[in-house]
Amino acid sequence: MTALGEGRSRDPADLRWSQAASTLRARGDQVIVLIVLIAIWQTASLALGVYWVGSPWGVASRVAAGAFSGDLLRHAAYTALEAAAGFALGALPAAALPFALRRFPIATAIIDPFMVGGYGAPKLALAPLFILWFGIGIESKIALVAITVFFIVYFSALAGVRALDAKLVQMAQVAGAHERQVVRHIVLPGAVPYIFTGLRIAMPYSIGGAVIAELISSNRGLGYLVQLGAMNFDTTGVLAALTAVTLIVFVGNWSVNAAERRLLRWRPPADLRLQAGT
Amino acid sequence: MATAEPLLEIRALCKRFPARAGREHPPWVIRDLTFSVAEREFLTIVGPSGAGKSTLLNMLAQIETASGGEVRFQSQPIALDDPKALSPGLACRIGYVTQEDNLLPWRTMLQNVLFPLAVQGRLTPETRARAETLIRTVGLAGFEHHYPHELSGGMRKRAALIRTLVYDPPVILMDEPFGALDAQTRTQLQQDLHQLWIGGRKTIVFVTHDIAEAIALGDRTLVLSPPPAHVAGEHVIDIPHPRDIRAIMTHPAFAGLYERIRAQVH
Repeated sequence: MTALGEGRSRDPADLRWSQAASTLRARGDQVIVLIVLIAIWQTASLALGVYWVGSPWGVASRVAAGAFSGDLLRHAAYTALEAAAGFALGALPAAALPFALRRFPIATAIIDPFMVGGYGAPKLALAPLFILWFGIGIESKIALVAITVFFIVYFSALAGVRALDAKLVQMAQVAGAHERQVVRHIVLPGAVPYIFTGLRIAMPYSIGGAVIAELISSNRGLGYLVQLGAMNFDTTGVLAALTAVTLIVFVGNWSVNAAERRLLRWRPPADLRLQAGT
Repeated sequence: MATAEPLLEIRALCKRFPARAGREHPPWVIRDLTFSVAEREFLTIVGPSGAGKSTLLNMLAQIETASGGEVRFQSQPIALDDPKALSPGLACRIGYVTQEDNLLPWRTMLQNVLFPLAVQGRLTPETRARAETLIRTVGLAGFEHHYPHELSGGMRKRAALIRTLVYDPPVILMDEPFGALDAQTRTQLQQDLHQLWIGGRKTIVFVTHDIAEAIALGDRTLVLSPPPAHVAGEHVIDIPHPRDIRAIMTHPAFAGLYERIRAQVH
């Protein structure tokens, strides 16, 4: 038919070029910021001495040595395991709960103040309690991470369920969809972007929670390394452990973003970039 | 034609929205609206904006309750007073093409068109072939795997239109489906719809505020009064099918009909 020619007028090849160029530009600027930060760190280290602030080079070689000997890797893996297990244990029920309660607004309203309280309460202050309950092993760390992640993801999933477009639901119902199909085909895909916003916020908290729990009481993990370094007045060791923590956060962040990009292929690219914050 | 056994009967239908706390009862949107739709008829309804045209279709599609009156489908009364008793789409017998396209942004165009068939469990090689034919008919071939945001407004409208046609409901309600389109695309889609209707002879209730569109497509046109809406006029459009929508304004009967309808639309 005649009106066929009204597709997008932008040349896709052109668009991809300009996108690639701006990505490259952003990467270049990020490298500059990194160099500036390292320079400030180096200056602080020179001014105060490596005893107080380990130098960037010293930290880098400590990280490399730890990685080669496998020592640092073992501790990092332990922390990552705690964070990942707690993340899954907290995020899955948190994401599922608003869907389960969708048809029961009263139940959602009843639990709301408790959820707000749980969201606002400083979860890290629970760490001593969890250690009391679950011991100094991996369980107390996983519990702390799970509870931290739970409230963040719950509220973002709830926002996603509430942002539901009633017109899409009506369309689906008129087309013959039952309640379960409405949840599966309309509510869930519509809430996925919101859930990912929660996951992205919760991700660094999960690693932070694991590290803090280790700081308080542990004989393994990066938090333990931080604690050990501090006790030995070894700032380079502390900073090396923190560098490893940061690297884990990067990997976690990258994983969440990759999963999001895969699941949200349907979104307009500009929208996605805005969401990912890159 | 309109006097044959009615497929859909609307008697003394009323609607007003529930009062909000602390305010007096809102006025009637629709009051004592009575008309019927014959099988295979293309009924167009015109009226001023705010005349409750969308509300009327929402009630017929059973996504909104009525405040009084009666609707019968094939002589069977439809429960319209209790929101819990509503059966949207009346078990897939009433299709609804809304003002907005309401395509699912996370589904490709083809997946959107197949959506009703998928949820109804009717995805077969035959129905898929039917979907492909419709996609070709409205000029969407080649865009099957595009997401809605990658389609133009006109293409989205077409996809929404054939999403309803594909599962073949006996009655189709349309709420200004071509409202926000440019004149060219609009005429083209009107012609497409007319062709599809000639080919399949569905029963269509088509709401619009455009008198020319109402004449071009309809067998019969109802004029709604300003709110509270009731039928202010009825016009049989005696222009033979198939019609050339592009040249409809040059038809000898057009000018007279247009004038008479316009005089009733306030």
